[in-house]
Amino acid sequence: MNLIDKYIAEVGKHLPRKNRADIEAEIRSTLEDMLEERKQGQAPENEALVVELLKEYGAPRKVAESYIGPRYLIGPRMYPIFEMVTRIVLVVLVAVALAGLGIGLARSSVSGPEVLKTVGESALGLFSGLITAFGNIVLVFAILERVLPSKEFEKETEDWDPAELANEPDQDRVKFGEQIFEIIFLVLFLVILNLYPGVIGFGFFDEGNWTFISPILTGVFFSYLPWINILFLLQIVFSVYLLRQGWWNTGLRIGNILLELASIALAVVMLRGPALMALTPQQLAGTPLADAADFFAKGANLLPALVLTIVIVVSSIEVAQMIYHLVKSRPSFPYPVVK
Amino acid sequence: MENDELVQNMLLELRRGVLSIAVLSQLSKEEYGYSLLKALSDQGMEIDQSTLYPLLRRLESQGLLQSDWRIMDETRPRRYYVISPQGKAVLTKLKREWSAMVETMGQLLS
Repeated sequence: MNLIDKYIAEVGKHLPRKNRADIEAEIRSTLEDMLEERKQGQAPENEALVVELLKEYGAPRKVAESYIGPRYLIGPRMYPIFEMVTRIVLVVLVAVALAGLGIGLARSSVSGPEVLKTVGESALGLFSGLITAFGNIVLVFAILERVLPSKEFEKETEDWDPAELANEPDQDRVKFGEQIFEIIFLVLFLVILNLYPGVIGFGFFDEGNWTFISPILTGVFFSYLPWINILFLLQIVFSVYLLRQGWWNTGLRIGNILLELASIALAVVMLRGPALMALTPQQLAGTPLADAADFFAKGANLLPALVLTIVIVVSSIEVAQMIYHLVKSRPSFPYPVVK
Repeated sequence: MENDELVQNMLLELRRGVLSIAVLSQLSKEEYGYSLLKALSDQGMEIDQSTLYPLLRRLESQGLLQSDWRIMDETRPRRYYVISPQGKAVLTKLKREWSAMVETMGQLLS
């Protein structure tokens, strides 16, 4: 294998498989043409000439990049939304961590080492939480970058009409940020419920000691997990499809109603079934709530019912809104058309 | 020194903008990449090969050029490019726009 072969193989490593052979052949043809021209009057096997030629042609990676153009994990079209979502999620996480730290400090003794220990533990927890959240957001956006067609963005830009600024927001236009938030939180829930169920629990800072009670969810809750997974995955697929479409239409609204009805049905079944959470007063022993362990354990065990009731109410409102938009007669064109 | 760099960058952008027209204009007859590079260079349009080859592929993917591999001198295959009918139509329009632009710029700079 001569130097040119090695150079072309090196360029090929950075090229997409689809056009690799063709581009490699073209580079070889060009290099041989250039070499032939330079060889005139020189020895046929002059390695210094080849080295000079390859140096002039450019570093393999640079040559390959000139063919494939810039590649992004999260490109310019998605970046502003990515930045917004990241900022909001990180601010919320920091706020929650600071609130936790405040409670912890209030409950810990005022001695320096205890305070430092509490602050240190909170900082570590926050750091780990921020990295996990950031990683998940990047993952979701990297997938959206590859799934969402660029023509939708171009269409939105081309169709932009200054008159729209004065109008009411169009009810048919999909709210981009809302859907992306939904996808991110559904992915987070799926990851936590399926991979890290141990992080679901109650944590307490007491006199500088961190007490974490887990598991608190019962086997009954996890028996519903396959259904929750199916529902969440369907919702994620639906949201991605909705983002691709950009606009609500009758079919999508009916699809959303069906998904919301399925959520309501599952929530009702879970609400009527056996207890989903089993926090015992014994588990609260040694925590700041030990004095009123019975009361807090009973209160905490009502949380799933509260969350499920909220799900039922919110989903019902969503169904009502969808039905309203379905039956409401809308002009096909937002402006009066003079014929 | 700083101005020189600015000028170089602006010239680079300026040249990048006209390269497509320059390449299309030289491909009424078939050329392979290196011969096109030389033809452009001989007429004062220096172009880097790492710019020319990706540009040729882009113009071909837009339907403005056609290409095929051929063995001409029994030594090695070369890819020959030629302007397509669509490319000719586009070049005619671009030439018109270019003339108007040169005239406008002439007025602006006079």
